Amino acid sequence: MSDDPDKVWPTGLTLREAEEVHSYLIDGTRVFGAIALLAHILVAFSTPWLG
Amino acid sequence: MRSLRTIAINRLAAVGPRYLPFLDVATDEVPLSRLLRLSLFQVTVGMALVLLAGTLNRVMIVELNVPASLVAIMLALPLVFAPLRTFIGYKSDVHVSALGLRRVPYIWKGTLYQFGGFAIMPFALLVLSGYGEAVDAPRWVGYTSAGLAFLLVGAGVHMVQTVGLALATDLVKEDDQPKVVGLMYVMLLFGMVISALVYGTLLEDYTPGKLIQMIQGAAVVTVALNMAAMWKQEARDRVRARQMLEAQHDPFREAIARVATSHGTIRLLLVIALGTFGFGMADVLLEPYGAQALGLSVADTTRLTALLATGTLIGFAIASRNIGLGQMPVRVALAGVAVGVPGFAGIITSSLGGAALLFPVGTVVIGLGAGLFGHATLTAMMRAAPRDQVGLALGTWGAVQATAAGVGIALAGIVRDVFVGLSHGTGNAPHAPYNIVFTAEIVFLALAILVALPLAARRANNKATPRSADQQSNPVEVSWQR
Repeated sequence: MSDDPDKVWPTGLTLREAEEVHSYLIDGTRVFGAIALLAHILVAFSTPWLG
Repeated sequence: MRSLRTIAINRLAAVGPRYLPFLDVATDEVPLSRLLRLSLFQVTVGMALVLLAGTLNRVMIVELNVPASLVAIMLALPLVFAPLRTFIGYKSDVHVSALGLRRVPYIWKGTLYQFGGFAIMPFALLVLSGYGEAVDAPRWVGYTSAGLAFLLVGAGVHMVQTVGLALATDLVKEDDQPKVVGLMYVMLLFGMVISALVYGTLLEDYTPGKLIQMIQGAAVVTVALNMAAMWKQEARDRVRARQMLEAQHDPFREAIARVATSHGTIRLLLVIALGTFGFGMADVLLEPYGAQALGLSVADTTRLTALLATGTLIGFAIASRNIGLGQMPVRVALAGVAVGVPGFAGIITSSLGGAALLFPVGTVVIGLGAGLFGHATLTAMMRAAPRDQVGLALGTWGAVQATAAGVGIALAGIVRDVFVGLSHGTGNAPHAPYNIVFTAEIVFLALAILVALPLAARRANNKATPRSADQQSNPVEVSWQR
């Protein structure tokens, strides 16, 4: 296990694995952000705030 | 100091595998508690189905004053994605991941879509109904946002269910598949019953604020349950990740063609479509039939739903047991359809001067038939698939099943409305439109029997050649030994 040169520390994941975990995080954040933005716009339509 | 540090590190190392998602190694046998946890995804599917087809159907029409035709179109939108289940299942089969994951990434994406749809749904519905200042908003905002919300939830449900079932199939041996199918169906039913009760209590006195709380609460519960369901179910696996990189897969078109040409699959799918269509049409009509044709009270008709569910549970139990003992899934499915025919016949006679008792008895019998049929056809589809095509096979099953059920429910309502409209002029009895639909269901079930008969006969002949031999050398499980 420990002789794998690709491994990055301190997680013990290889670079490709770390990048994949990261991609899930990024995708999740993007979708969540888009949904939140849309929800705020819709709320603003029915009960406007900021004037 | 040093010993303290060592102790702390050892403690952390011991804790790690229990609480971290990727550190788990799959063992040969999967304990029941883990399968129960996995089946939580079916609860969220049930929650979404009840919210869309039951609760919101009513709330949009009664409390939000949205035109009924628009509501029907909105609620039918998730059906658009049902055929895509085949593709989702295929994608999860050929998924390339450095972590060696196949199913979990798709369950996660599906969960995100479910959550996203629920998160914007209440506001979209309020804008659609012109609540508050939204009266002045352009109409297309309400239409598109509500449509998007329903599409997102539908896409999420299709993804989570298809890939979740594929993951469950991956985890267990073929002998245990009937039990797992039973468990998955029971949890779906459980989720639907519990969430129907909860939504009903929450919306007893409707306010827009409560609608927002309820739907967004459903969003949070969905994410929580799905996270719990997929937690540590699929092991991180470098060997499998390497295999994924090197593996050559057929393109989607060829893979689907191979499934289609394999022994009796098309026929099985046709049986699933006909049977699901036949049973599905009953779901929405039993309650209004009891009220309008037989004059039952609201409490009595609610009890009908419980009777139907009881029959279905008994059906799952019998199917689990019999298939587990080695009976052919196709024959159990055949028995389910055959049981359904007298069930519908009993319901029709109960309004034509037959004994009133025939109606509840017929309802239980229909539930029993539907339970046997649903369980057996899903198990048959699981067994028909080679291990590396489980996702594709279950996707195809889901596409056919969801489409047939959805179209059945929609058509049943439309046909009934048309005949109710016609009978206003002619003065027909109130049970006439329902009995037309019930008769149509008997016809569809009879067709399903006709299509299934050769399948049951042919499979019986093939039984001489044991097909369990190739199942023992399981490429997935071999690669789990790290």
